[in-house]
Amino acid sequence: MAETQQMKKFKTPSKGTPKAKHPISLDHHIAPQTPQSATPSAVNLRRSHRLSAATLEHRPALFIFNTPQSAAKTRKICEDPPSIIPTEISFNPASPPPVESRKKRKFQEKSAEKRKDSRSVKCKRAADRKVKKKVYYKKVVYDGGEFSAGHDVYVKRRSDASSDNEDPEVEECRVCFKQAGKRVLIECDDCLNGFHLKCLKPPLRAVPDGDWVCCYCVARKNGEVMEFPEPQEGKKRARTAREKLLSSDLWAARIESLWKEVDGTYWFRARWYIIPDETAVGRQPHNLRRELYRTNDFADVEMESIIRHCFVMSPREFANAANGGDDVFLCEYEYEMQWHSFKRIAEIDNNENDGESVVDNDADWNSCDEFDSGSESDSEEAAYGDEKRNKLAQASSLRPAAANSRKGQIFGLQKIGAKKIPENLRSRKQTDLEKAKSTLMLATLPKSLPCRDREMNEITTFIKGAICDEQCLGRCLYVHGVPGTGKTMSVLAVMRNLKSEVDAGSIRPYCFVEINGLKLASPENIYSVIYEGLTGHRVGWKKALNFLNARFSDENKCRKDTSPCILLIDELDLLVTRNQAVLYNILDWPTRPNSKLIVIGIANTMDLPEKLLPRISSRMGIQRLCFGPYNFQQLQEIISSRLKGIDTFEKVAIEFASRKVAAVSGDARRALEICRRAAEVADYRAKKTALSSSDASGKVMAGMADVEAAIKEMFQAPHIQVIRSCSKLSKIFLAAMVYELYKTGMGETTFEKLAMAVSCFCANNGETFPGYDTLMKVGCKLGECRLLLCEPGSRHKLQKLQLNYPNDDVTFALKDSKDLPWLAKYI
Amino acid sequence: MPAFAAPRHSPASDPTSVAVTPRKSRLRSDPDAAIGSPLRKSPRLCKEGSPNSSPKIEVIRKCLKSSLNLSESPEKKQLTEDFVEGQNWDPREETQLRAVNETLHVSTAPASVVCRENEQNRILDFCKKCVKEEKAGSLYVCGCPGTGKTLSMEKVKVMLVDWANKEGVQHPDVLSINCTTLANMSEIFSKILGQTHYGKKPSPSTSSLQQLQKLYSQHTPGLKMILVVADELDYLITKDRAVLHDLFMLTTMPFSRCILLGVANAIDLADWFIPKLQSLNCKPMVITFCAYSKDQIINILQERLRALPYTVFQPQALELCARKVAAASGDMRKALAVCRSAIEMLIGESMLSSLDETEDQQRPAANDMMSNIVRINHVAAALSKVYKSPVVDTIISLPQHQQIILCSAVKLFREGKKSTILGELNKYYVDVCKSTMIPPVGILELSSMCRVLDDQGILKLGQSREDKLRRVTLKVDGADIVFALRGVRFFRNCLK
Repeated sequence: MAETQQMKKFKTPSKGTPKAKHPISLDHHIAPQTPQSATPSAVNLRRSHRLSAATLEHRPALFIFNTPQSAAKTRKICEDPPSIIPTEISFNPASPPPVESRKKRKFQEKSAEKRKDSRSVKCKRAADRKVKKKVYYKKVVYDGGEFSAGHDVYVKRRSDASSDNEDPEVEECRVCFKQAGKRVLIECDDCLNGFHLKCLKPPLRAVPDGDWVCCYCVARKNGEVMEFPEPQEGKKRARTAREKLLSSDLWAARIESLWKEVDGTYWFRARWYIIPDETAVGRQPHNLRRELYRTNDFADVEMESIIRHCFVMSPREFANAANGGDDVFLCEYEYEMQWHSFKRIAEIDNNENDGESVVDNDADWNSCDEFDSGSESDSEEAAYGDEKRNKLAQASSLRPAAANSRKGQIFGLQKIGAKKIPENLRSRKQTDLEKAKSTLMLATLPKSLPCRDREMNEITTFIKGAICDEQCLGRCLYVHGVPGTGKTMSVLAVMRNLKSEVDAGSIRPYCFVEINGLKLASPENIYSVIYEGLTGHRVGWKKALNFLNARFSDENKCRKDTSPCILLIDELDLLVTRNQAVLYNILDWPTRPNSKLIVIGIANTMDLPEKLLPRISSRMGIQRLCFGPYNFQQLQEIISSRLKGIDTFEKVAIEFASRKVAAVSGDARRALEICRRAAEVADYRAKKTALSSSDASGKVMAGMADVEAAIKEMFQAPHIQVIRSCSKLSKIFLAAMVYELYKTGMGETTFEKLAMAVSCFCANNGETFPGYDTLMKVGCKLGECRLLLCEPGSRHKLQKLQLNYPNDDVTFALKDSKDLPWLAKYI
Repeated sequence: MPAFAAPRHSPASDPTSVAVTPRKSRLRSDPDAAIGSPLRKSPRLCKEGSPNSSPKIEVIRKCLKSSLNLSESPEKKQLTEDFVEGQNWDPREETQLRAVNETLHVSTAPASVVCRENEQNRILDFCKKCVKEEKAGSLYVCGCPGTGKTLSMEKVKVMLVDWANKEGVQHPDVLSINCTTLANMSEIFSKILGQTHYGKKPSPSTSSLQQLQKLYSQHTPGLKMILVVADELDYLITKDRAVLHDLFMLTTMPFSRCILLGVANAIDLADWFIPKLQSLNCKPMVITFCAYSKDQIINILQERLRALPYTVFQPQALELCARKVAAASGDMRKALAVCRSAIEMLIGESMLSSLDETEDQQRPAANDMMSNIVRINHVAAALSKVYKSPVVDTIISLPQHQQIILCSAVKLFREGKKSTILGELNKYYVDVCKSTMIPPVGILELSSMCRVLDDQGILKLGQSREDKLRRVTLKVDGADIVFALRGVRFFRNCLK
């Protein structure tokens, strides 16, 4: 289906091989083994490297990566071959900015240089002190190959495999086993073997346009058996690195960072790629032959085990790399090892040509949408397109300012142009209040989730009861509760705990797909999102629905081996369509035999199942879990658990805030916000006193008054402020309104009566009556800001007016206005 | 701000005492006893009767009595015999537990479908007749959810093919479609066409429906019969009902080979297209799957459990479950879910008891044997999870200001109104707050609280452009609110 994307590759040995392919003498590869690969068992347990890597956490999290462009630029300078240290990099474990090469610094302005130099001295001192530790490099020339962070390489898998030693640079023809020579090799789009044009039966004159599949693959597809010719006696067929990789005899990895260990060995941090066959779902029909998945799995590997470069590209680059040679691969998705789910790699992740216009990018985007076989609905495409465009726009607008010095590859937070400032680079220590502010932020993930133990236990037993069985029986859980009661957080915390158990090996692995109903363009889109999460293949929702139906209702026994799948749907009520077919399908799958599907739905509405059609609530089962609003003790515990170790809040203040929130809504988010705001107020106060009195002796605690102020800010309605700050005439107008309504006891009045009252007010208190026109204008303005509800102005005098807020609020706001003290006697 | 002590009990915490011993004290302010009662409309009913005559306890008594009175009916006799014969199972052993869970899971189709033989035979006879005479026909099956419609259809399909093989008749193609899985309603025709085997290749120019119509309007020798089972037929209803109509019209074509079995919940779906079909004298036969009665549910559950070599349920427990489910909906899925959750309760209990078993050595052996099967109290606890009305509990656990809103709403509606607007409610709310010396919250806050109450299903908020003019109605009985808030001293004065 998607084979059109794969370009025809001419395998002419002269120009077809990528330029970075270095001839490597084979001897190097039999040479000393890396400590890690010394024991074969350790090598085979590749996944476990992640654990061992945890000990290296003191390494700086941010590191400047060399981009291919800059690599090309610096290549000239550092091409004094056999030595291994091309660019010296000053090392500072904590501050990334100084980790720049000196060459770059030359181009900087003098003043900046001075500052930086002074700092680099410091850095050097730091490096001297830690010279026994590792030294990081941007680029390492090793075995004649030049490696830098961001490069993709082949890595040896087994230390003892003899087949690793041979590494034919040039591919042979699959029929005559001779190297291409001057003749053109043509690549089959299915089995990726190369053939001489004239070795084929019937021989080809020229390379055909479009897809071409060799006669062997055609025969295999038709069910016939057609063996490839065997090589002559005594001559073994040499396999290229690509072939070995695709038959999982090699690994591919991306170099994340490079360093020299204390003992002088060179190491790199590898981010593994895996071939589709190694994923939980196995190779799918939509996978291209050259497709790889990037994993979120890292390991530290010695440089010895690198074989040579390979090239893993995004679909766009891949489409452009027409003559890329044999070591070119395609990677569109990232594969999560724990959840067995797929995520599309955002294009900006390694977007190398920034200069492209947005329109251009869009066209490319569409071209890589060929996967979707055209059946996709417009809305979906538009939605995805929009999302991407936004991202691109963000990226391109932020790029020049944030990342022009490094051009291109950016990681982690930097993906959106932002960069985390390391804590110790700040000029001073954080005060307690500032710490409190940051821990009370809603975005901060708390270390523990108090007060929801019972619910979390219930969720855990629910999931475990389902997935621990040999025969995973489908089930469904509905979680409901008012906002801010920790529904999603508890479920995700349970999933995290289970993940660690999966890592420890006590539970069978499972897939986990998380969907938020609010993020779907339309309810039907959930099918394609689920399908994409399960298989890493994006199709239109209609197709996805068919695939999912086949997957979950297939009764034949070959489905036995699939791992259970947990589907978490947040904001379930948004999936309710007119005929509720989406919910029906999702809740019907768990009741099918062998579906192995567990659905957890989260919503605010308590009686959602009752609101649905009876056939759906019948399928939903009876498993419900209610998250009630927090009471004040619970809120108190939540806040104090977050503030553990930071002594800034008076106990009564926390209690006051939590009682106040518990009485109104029991929403933990709001309680945290109030406390954060109170901390801000206190912080502000502290700084003010420090400025004025200049003796920073007393430690400022956030007390009752601060909480009170924060609550006032949050709970006090904005309309009071608006009324207080409006013009004199408007105030008179409103006062007359209240007076009139009070006098008549009605809910509404007409403009005519109101004007009478206003003129009466004005006459008695020595103000000039402004006239009907102006008064009408004032009325319209008040109507516009929704203080009044008024009929359209065309009725003039008979226009009916109504207060939008309770009389008492207006009275309260007007009671003590300074410019119109006489208003008080009318209200 | 005054905090109040709300009486909180979790209903599952002490199921035995709820079920067996009549409660003497504090029933009026205790929501649990009221919640469990099956006939309960509002707590008023309970508080009027004496605590001893709680309807739930009545049901349990009936169960106990009937099981003791062996000679009363043969069926019940059999019940007890089964119980005596079977050996015990150990819920702590994993393989047994897994087997039990699997037997009671919805997705496991039982070996034989009991209690639906009649309906099944009617459908099967209809199909046989059609196949034998090579005549098209249509049938409409309706019934509540969870009454075994789809399951019976699966069985019918298998039986029909078996029969055809035995009789030597050319067996029909079988196509079952769940209409919810169709992305486009008229896709059903292309699916039927795809299943129909005839010489020519389908031409892409004409629509599948037209091709089918053409195919069925002329005599084609060797065309096989096709049995189409369309589940959830009502999803095919479009605005003009064209798809549904066309589908049924296919069976009226002169040389049609299509046997259509439609399945849906609505009884009157057939009536919609009957006028047109009636004039052609081929109105579909309607077969109704009634909701299961108590005896049927017991039968089915026992049939499922018979596959196991050990006794899992006390017969009275099964009966309680069956009675409650039959009274509420007759939904088999619910009954199975109740049974499974009762087993979970038992497991939870046995986990607890195994913890303190070391201290408790001198327990009589008979008791130990009893402890391994699911008893009435487990089922009662599971049932209360499903059928309890959470209103009283919910109201008690609401934040105070939301309770005040409910209180003022009750006061407002006492005056005979049925609904009000938010602005009006705010006035009453402020009054109540002032009378109790609590600072009221603003109207914006009030409207957001009302939205939360709407989510909880206690209030209903109408739609309006202005927040203030939104219509507010109570969705629960005012007496429920009074009952729930009665326990709180704070509200007692307000509600007088």
